[in-house]
Amino acid sequence: MGALAITVEDLAAVPPEVVFDRFGTGDDGGWLFGAVCDRLAVGAVVTLQAPVGGGPPVEMLGRISDLRRPVAVTIEHDQPWRGRIRLRFDRAPGGTRIRLHAEIDERGLEWVMRRRGLPVRERVATGPRLGVLTSRSGPGSLFAAAVANVAGLAVDEVNGDGGVDGGQVELLLADDATDPGTGALEALRLARAGCSTIVLMTTSATYDAVAAALAGHDVLVILANMNEGGGESRLRIRLGERPHTQLALAAGPLMRAAGGRRWFLAGNAYVWPRTVHAVARSVLPQHGGVLVGERFAPLGTRDFTPVIEAVRASGADVVLNTFVGADSAAFERQAHAMGLRERTVSLGPAMDEATLERIGPAAAEGIHAVSGYFQLLQTERNGSLLERYRARFGRWAPPLSTLSESMFEAIQVWATAARRARTTAPGPVADEIRRGRFDVPRGTIALDGDDAPVGQQLHVVATDGTRFVPVHVP
Amino acid sequence: MSSDRDTTGEQAPADLAFDALADPVRRQILSVLSETDELSAGGLAERITTVGRTAVSTHLRVLRVAGLVTERRSGRYRYYAIDSRGAAADVIALLRSLFQGSLRDARSAAERHDSAGTPREDVG
Repeated sequence: MGALAITVEDLAAVPPEVVFDRFGTGDDGGWLFGAVCDRLAVGAVVTLQAPVGGGPPVEMLGRISDLRRPVAVTIEHDQPWRGRIRLRFDRAPGGTRIRLHAEIDERGLEWVMRRRGLPVRERVATGPRLGVLTSRSGPGSLFAAAVANVAGLAVDEVNGDGGVDGGQVELLLADDATDPGTGALEALRLARAGCSTIVLMTTSATYDAVAAALAGHDVLVILANMNEGGGESRLRIRLGERPHTQLALAAGPLMRAAGGRRWFLAGNAYVWPRTVHAVARSVLPQHGGVLVGERFAPLGTRDFTPVIEAVRASGADVVLNTFVGADSAAFERQAHAMGLRERTVSLGPAMDEATLERIGPAAAEGIHAVSGYFQLLQTERNGSLLERYRARFGRWAPPLSTLSESMFEAIQVWATAARRARTTAPGPVADEIRRGRFDVPRGTIALDGDDAPVGQQLHVVATDGTRFVPVHVP
Repeated sequence: MSSDRDTTGEQAPADLAFDALADPVRRQILSVLSETDELSAGGLAERITTVGRTAVSTHLRVLRVAGLVTERRSGRYRYYAIDSRGAAADVIALLRSLFQGSLRDARSAAERHDSAGTPREDVG
């Protein structure tokens, strides 16, 4: 408890059964912010389009945690804040009384106030401050749904273990809204608030904007998730998978799964997809692949018809899907709906469990991914992490994936390095990160002389429903 | 009406608002006040059972200084309401209108589909 509670009600001139059964259905989504869910069942994912404070609607991502026909639906959501919406339907004269009860906690209030442009003062620091910048809204909110959870878990565990530099680490969270300009402004805010390190789980476009905006500031910027690399300097570190390694490993298995070697490259129009495509143009032919087409669409696209028709016309066997987040989910759903899956398989270097569950089991068939982590990874450290994650956030919390889990690892790496350096000063911490080897859930990771991650074993995985299972790589 | 909102000081009420909202008891007080026009101190203390009467008074003072609630004195009673000019009123009004709007859509969607729709098979 301790959340701000909002209760509203309305009357509908139809029986409760009708109100209940219309939930999550309809041409433009169902009622309650155009709720979309493929199945009305406990555990099913739901997306609400909430018009919060002007601008485009904000996607509230959650799942159904309770369902009693025709009296109640409960949704637990993780984006843009963690909260619960309870709906009750009571028979009333002339129809149904619909009652909605929503709870919003401190972090949620902070998010709403910032979105409304209300000033939110940082409180006085109580220990070393660590900034976390991720996507709580915009297309990236989908892949980042678990990031706030794992960041909180990682910091609490660091603090439970005695903290860093003689103090309890204070976590400051910010939302880039999947927009580089917003990300830069929020990073500057975190820097002003005293964060000597800011860890990002965002697109590379936001990373580039943040890296530039913080030039001249004594702040270490760490990008946790997969990226194209480049532009390294003492206070800029990028962990995560690199496209060359991903594609070199996955090229063969994908062509075997497809029974063909023709590749089509399709992705969002920004730096990471463009770089992945450039890498693909050199790596795939080395493995016998033939490139038959390429298309880009801006981040936020929801109709991929021209791309899908171009793929179909090209006769491709494999689609390299470099769309991200909600765009990737929408692309794969539409590719399936338009029958593309009957002739192609897809490889998504940024495809992850959070995106996959939004694609749904029917459209997920034939999708492959390649990364250093997936949720079912059988390591002792991962098994233990999953237990702690579920114990704390419950069974309805979003899945971990190579994207969100990378935040947990980056914080562990930062804390370990700061302890070894005996300071949270950015330079010494960065040097210690480059010097060290770190035992994290995906394995033991380190950076090589060119600042590229080494020692990270990658896995090619294919879908089994909305789970990933490993593909044998000879 | 309280008139002690000082916007000239170093900390404007809006700056204080988030600190004020950061406390669970204060959020609970605001939740209770958001459902009524105004409530007496005694009425509030009856609804907030997690802490004692004195603590409720202290929290009310923080909320008042932050510009989130107003205080009206009538005889020996004090009445509290959400300050319509404050950040809390803004956030609460935003969320209420957001969710109220969603129910309006719900009503019209359900009524519109009443004759056309068929129930889904996966509903248990």
